Amino acid sequence: MNNSSKPKFFFRLLHELRRVIYIMLDEYRIILKDSGLAVIFLGATLIYPILYSSIYRNETIRDMPIAVIDESQSARSRELARRLDATPDLNVAYQFNNLEEAKESFYKQKIHGVVYIPKEFSQKINRNEQATVSLYCDMSSFMYYRTMTLGANLGILESGKDIKIERMNAVGITGRSAEISVAPFRYEKNILFNEPMGFASFLLPVVLVMIIQQTLFFGITMLTGTLREEKLASIDPKMRQKDKFFPTIFGKALCYFSMYIVICSYILLAVPRIFQLPHIGNPLDIIRFFTPFLLAVIFFSMLISVFIRNRETAIIIFPFISIVLLFLSGFSWPESNMPWFWRSLGMIFPSTFGIQGYLKINSMGAGLEQVKFEHIALWFQTAVYFLATVFAYRIQMRTAAK
Amino acid sequence: MLLHPVYLLTSVIAMSFCYLFFLTLMSEGLPKQLPIGIVDGDNSSLSRTLERNINASPQVEIVAKYASFTEARKDMQKGRIYAIVDIAPGFHADLLANRQPSIAYYVNDVYLVAGSLSYKDLTYISELMSGFILQQSLQAKGITGEENLMPLLQPITMDTHLIGNPYTNYSVYLSNVLLPGVLQLLIIMFTIYAIGVEMKQKTTREWLSTGNESILSALTGKILPHSVLFTLLGLIGLFLQYEVMGFPMNGSIALMSLAMFLFVIAHQAIGIFIIGLFQRLRDSISVGVFYGLLSFTFSGFTFPIEAMPRGAQIFAWFFPIRYYFKIYVNEALNGADIRYSLIYFAVMFAFLLLPFLVYTRLRNTIMEHDKEEIKNCRLNEQFQ
Repeated sequence: MNNSSKPKFFFRLLHELRRVIYIMLDEYRIILKDSGLAVIFLGATLIYPILYSSIYRNETIRDMPIAVIDESQSARSRELARRLDATPDLNVAYQFNNLEEAKESFYKQKIHGVVYIPKEFSQKINRNEQATVSLYCDMSSFMYYRTMTLGANLGILESGKDIKIERMNAVGITGRSAEISVAPFRYEKNILFNEPMGFASFLLPVVLVMIIQQTLFFGITMLTGTLREEKLASIDPKMRQKDKFFPTIFGKALCYFSMYIVICSYILLAVPRIFQLPHIGNPLDIIRFFTPFLLAVIFFSMLISVFIRNRETAIIIFPFISIVLLFLSGFSWPESNMPWFWRSLGMIFPSTFGIQGYLKINSMGAGLEQVKFEHIALWFQTAVYFLATVFAYRIQMRTAAK
Repeated sequence: MLLHPVYLLTSVIAMSFCYLFFLTLMSEGLPKQLPIGIVDGDNSSLSRTLERNINASPQVEIVAKYASFTEARKDMQKGRIYAIVDIAPGFHADLLANRQPSIAYYVNDVYLVAGSLSYKDLTYISELMSGFILQQSLQAKGITGEENLMPLLQPITMDTHLIGNPYTNYSVYLSNVLLPGVLQLLIIMFTIYAIGVEMKQKTTREWLSTGNESILSALTGKILPHSVLFTLLGLIGLFLQYEVMGFPMNGSIALMSLAMFLFVIAHQAIGIFIIGLFQRLRDSISVGVFYGLLSFTFSGFTFPIEAMPRGAQIFAWFFPIRYYFKIYVNEALNGADIRYSLIYFAVMFAFLLLPFLVYTRLRNTIMEHDKEEIKNCRLNEQFQ
């Protein structure tokens, strides 16, 4: 008896497998025939990475235009202005005589910073007093602020160091010991993992992961909505045995998964190499990490699509969610400083862990061991969303059958 | 004739959620107590003083001490710490022997904000420390009193004015543009849908009859209530930012409200333009999402337009959010005279011309749909 049930089971399995393959191919056929779906799955995933990588190519601001108001008109003040201009960050584009003139350019947003050197600047320095320089920063963008303070600090510290040494000499500390007194110890800055301190290296890896999740989400919800509109009330339009929802779920998931293996390889492995973004991670670790990510996103989207009635519903309502999800991932406003309830909300979405994991493996060279938490969380999400999808499909098909 | 109430409700909920989200997410203003690590190979009184000084600063917080740099780096790769302070053995001894030792800072700029801020703070603390050491050696030489010491310690001081955002509140940077950004996404998508769905569901007949068979009045009848709703949502946002959150407002809130109103109708015009140009709902929606998401990039609030490649810079002209951003900078931050913003108001206004460019095209399509519907009606009647 035992012997005869085995082949039977085997044939049933084969039969089910055939059905899974059939549904997978059917899903492929639907996607390729529908230009709207093809645009999302194939067009957007191809174009967006190229577009964003090109726009942010320059990484950072060089020679940001600023103005200097030099009321001192001395050798000292001219030296300072030269030092500011010599920094890689700043470019002294204008020399004005008074603050009013500078305001005009500042309000026209032609310059993003002003350095004001007062009349008594050189006298004060010659009289061995502390001189003050005023800085005015354009605060409309974090990048302007950072560039201005970096450049001005550098220029002013350099000028200050020369004066310090002169003054040391005056009190009898000379030569090498003057240098050491001025800087008793040195501190060196080492930028890890984002050498150019660049914007593209900071933003792009995050956007790449988001593109994968959002195209899958909008594609799957649009596909389901379209089938619904075409009066194929059930999620499983043709194959089409009642109460058999497992082959449908597996077949669909297999279609998206196989398609996105190719897309992910392009986005996560090829794009960073083509556009010289950070890529010090082990590709094998990336593949292993993103397997549960893809599955979690697929089942999450399939679950949500159960509630979608129209082709356009999701894509009209939810694009703004992409922006919210970006910030929930903690790439910009640091995760350590997020209120706990937003951090918890972030844990619902695969992108939160996907982005953190990708940053750590791809940009910082972490091993799988170091992203264990995110990796396990994604498998956990996969399990939860898979079970929820099975449950939802079951109800759905039962009600459709009635 | 109105957009389905579900969508209206959705836009209210979506905006309310985003107001709540972005305004509470960054309510700290400037991230405080950023976690960093230290490798204290010296373990001297001096290195411990440095450690205390770092912890005393509100910006960073030493959360872990490591025996080796490798250990610390591994924790940084896990994302636990944003910076590492590495003090080599013999630091204090070298300092006393005038050998000018060095401290190494390692900053993780993958998290650009946390990295930049913690580095800025570490630099500041180091300058203080080295000033302190210099002060001690000068005092040993008999130079005392602040008026004698300070010119030696710091010959040039900086008096920094951060215009419009004196506390470098990070939320001010982002919320002021992100929130209108979300609003324009909703406006574009809902405008496209409101018009496109009539053609898709073949209900143009009914729609036109509400406008006395005139397309212009049918269109305004549909769009105008949305203008009111979205403007209201936008103004609530301004109120929350400038009145409730106390974001800087150095100009006129009335002008900002006017800018918001123009911002709303400009995006409605863009929505009409897109559906008029591409005709089919499904294509128009793809274009709408594409445009709406690019708005965030081309507002130039995170990465400045001037730093983009020249070819990309041109595109910034075609996004009203760019002009809204400029007006906000002039009004809220810089408190500039209105004459600097007039041009931006004018360009936003010019976006209202867009629907007229596609008016005939849109009319023809609607009429065609209408004719078909009338034909279908007649056929149905005949069968009955």
